[in-house]
Amino acid sequence: MSEKPQTFRLVSRLLIPTILLCVCSKPLFSSNQQRLATDLEGKPFDLSHASRGKIVVFIFVRTDCPISNRYAPTIQQLSAQHRNDATFFLVYPDKKETPDAIRKHDREFGYTFAALRDPQHVLVKQSQAQITPEAAVFDASRRLVYHGRIDNLYEDFGHARKSPTTHELADAIEAAIAERPLSGTATPAVGCYISDLE
Amino acid sequence: MIVVPRNFRRCAPWACVAALVSGLGHVGSAQQKVTTQNGAAQAQVTFSRDIAPILYRSCVLCHRPGESAPFPLLAYTDAKSRARQIAVVTRSRFMPPWLPEEGELKFADELRLSTDEIARIQAWADQGAPEGDPADLPAKPKFAEGWQLGKPDVIARATKPYALTASGSDNYWNFVFRAPIDRTRWLDAIEIRPGDKRLVHHANVLVDRQQNGRRQEIDPGAGFGGMELTIESEVFDPDSHFLFWKPGSIPYVEPDGMALRLDKDTDLVLNTHLQPSGKPETIQPTLGLYFTDKPATLHPILLQLENDRMLDIPAGDKRFVVTDEFTLPVDVDVLAIYPHAHYLGKDLRAIAKFPDGRSETLIHIPDWNLNWQAVYRYAQPFRLPKGTAISMNFVYDNSEDNIRNPNDPPRRVVGGNRAVDEMAHLWLQVLPEPISQGQNDPRVLIVEAMAQHNLQKNPDDFEAHYNLAALLMGRGEVPQAIAHFEHANRIRPNEPTVNNAFGAALLAVGRTEESIPHLTAALNARPDYFDARYNLGNALASLGDFRGALAQFQAAVRINPEDANAEANLGSAFAETGDLKQAKLHYERALRLNPNHELARDNLQQLSREANPR
Repeated sequence: MSEKPQTFRLVSRLLIPTILLCVCSKPLFSSNQQRLATDLEGKPFDLSHASRGKIVVFIFVRTDCPISNRYAPTIQQLSAQHRNDATFFLVYPDKKETPDAIRKHDREFGYTFAALRDPQHVLVKQSQAQITPEAAVFDASRRLVYHGRIDNLYEDFGHARKSPTTHELADAIEAAIAERPLSGTATPAVGCYISDLE
Repeated sequence: MIVVPRNFRRCAPWACVAALVSGLGHVGSAQQKVTTQNGAAQAQVTFSRDIAPILYRSCVLCHRPGESAPFPLLAYTDAKSRARQIAVVTRSRFMPPWLPEEGELKFADELRLSTDEIARIQAWADQGAPEGDPADLPAKPKFAEGWQLGKPDVIARATKPYALTASGSDNYWNFVFRAPIDRTRWLDAIEIRPGDKRLVHHANVLVDRQQNGRRQEIDPGAGFGGMELTIESEVFDPDSHFLFWKPGSIPYVEPDGMALRLDKDTDLVLNTHLQPSGKPETIQPTLGLYFTDKPATLHPILLQLENDRMLDIPAGDKRFVVTDEFTLPVDVDVLAIYPHAHYLGKDLRAIAKFPDGRSETLIHIPDWNLNWQAVYRYAQPFRLPKGTAISMNFVYDNSEDNIRNPNDPPRRVVGGNRAVDEMAHLWLQVLPEPISQGQNDPRVLIVEAMAQHNLQKNPDDFEAHYNLAALLMGRGEVPQAIAHFEHANRIRPNEPTVNNAFGAALLAVGRTEESIPHLTAALNARPDYFDARYNLGNALASLGDFRGALAQFQAAVRINPEDANAEANLGSAFAETGDLKQAKLHYERALRLNPNHELARDNLQQLSREANPR
């Protein structure tokens, strides 16, 4: 009698990964490429293979989000500044935004790095992103080390500073490059809600 | 961390977590739908029936293609893809932008949502933003394409566009429009089309009767920078209209009898507040002018309360108060109000205290935001009797808690025209009780009372001295006027307007020799100053220096060939120096310009008598 529960306990512990496997395998195998972000040519994007050895920075944006647009010069500047250590991607989570519209938008706003489409919100979830514009930083081993606002230019809708006084994304990138742990918790960004796109 | 089987290599750790989270997400949204369906049994809020009417009334004026808002909210799909955002910004009352608190006095076109409407929007977003039955949709609002008031009589375009940089903080630019009219016109509306509406936060037209703005342009036609500008005028022509544009503005048509006068050679200066978009932009505004046949019969005036001198806000001060109070010298009807502060302004209030002791709030803005400043027109004009004290009470926050504080860390801020300076202004558009024949223009009484009030606050107020002097001159009280001109001249010794007026006043009382240095100074500052040329010509002539006078009158007619007086005086200067042929020519020109010019006619007759003595 006393041994049985022990056996059960063991089994139940083993079951946990099994359940996970089911959930895990389903999107990857059954619906194949649908659950992947792609580049603007439609090629699937795989974070684990992208830019080996460098950190990866996602910036979630929308072509029609005024706050993410206003950030374009800041984002472009950050990407140029860290191009040796970090690979930047603009991530467009709105399935209605076509590759052509995104190309046109990026040209107008002076972006020179790659854009991804994430209509199924795979990268959104990986990055725990909620807002455009919002940043996510993955270290060289692809651990999510930061997600949240770029800086504190906006405190709320309509409450913008003249210029930001904290620079969370820049700090996170520098910490990730130096392999330093990040202190403090991320502050949510101000902008357009990604959940509105579901 | 959850244990992941090692043999399942293709599933990297993050992918598993993501898949798990996404799986949970599905469960979550499924549950939400259940709630929605449950909720629907009680009170489902739908776009078609409940939300569209709110958006159509209060949002789509700006949230439609081509307008200032960054995205449209006309169709269900537009609104659904912003549902959470709409809920958040309406709950915080960031949208629709409407700063004044609800009060006894109602404003025209109030954009405020009711608490019930806001609750409805929250419920809709919480329920997953359902569309409902499209048959419930109200009729889509209709908007005029292009010019909102129809084709303007005249369109003025800024001579040169302004290049707005991609990034940086807010920017202020002034465009100078050369009004394309060849004679005096009456306008009942000016439609301001600021260019790309997403970039322009607000814009304001100032009537510049003496081309003050042009003189600030380094490159002619290019405009000039600056957040605030003052336009000075020598003629008694007090500002009378608010010509203001903000996002969603419907161009304002002045009521009958309140047309705005626009003379030939008048400039219109458009003061714009621009916000970088993230990419380089160019802006070239246009103005549409609408004429009316009805000249003004009612003369409103803009009353200004201010106390910029009180503005000396220590770094870190969270509650710095600035006040001013002005007592009305005549009965007025109040038409509109415009409070103005910069980024430290927090709580702006204006109150009227009636002679009987009652008081009424004219406006109260509990959370000032410069970006949404506006002219507020009252739904109904209301009377304030003579003796009513209008007061302003503005509170400023210069601490680091005020996120709009342009200084980090906060530093001492004083009054001034730049964005990093502060302002404490309150403007009211009032219509003085119309006058019967023979009475003093009540506007004169108001301007005089304002000038006296301003001198009490600041004995060295240049504008007050100048205005008071000009009014006293108008009443023929020349010695008193001279005292104030003298004071204004001490404050700004090089100001051509004052030097000319001061010189003219001295000339009027026979202090001719003293007038000459002032008139000369005016011309040194502004060589094409017609009035000063003319006055200096007269001064020299009355001292018997007709050659000197001749040169001044010649210069004057070159500047303005259509002034009969200058032509007549030029004729006299020629006559006095013995050139009768030239004298006759200029007297005749004066008579062509003004057939009733008696002096020219008399002189011409005298000339022919001298030429043919009988």
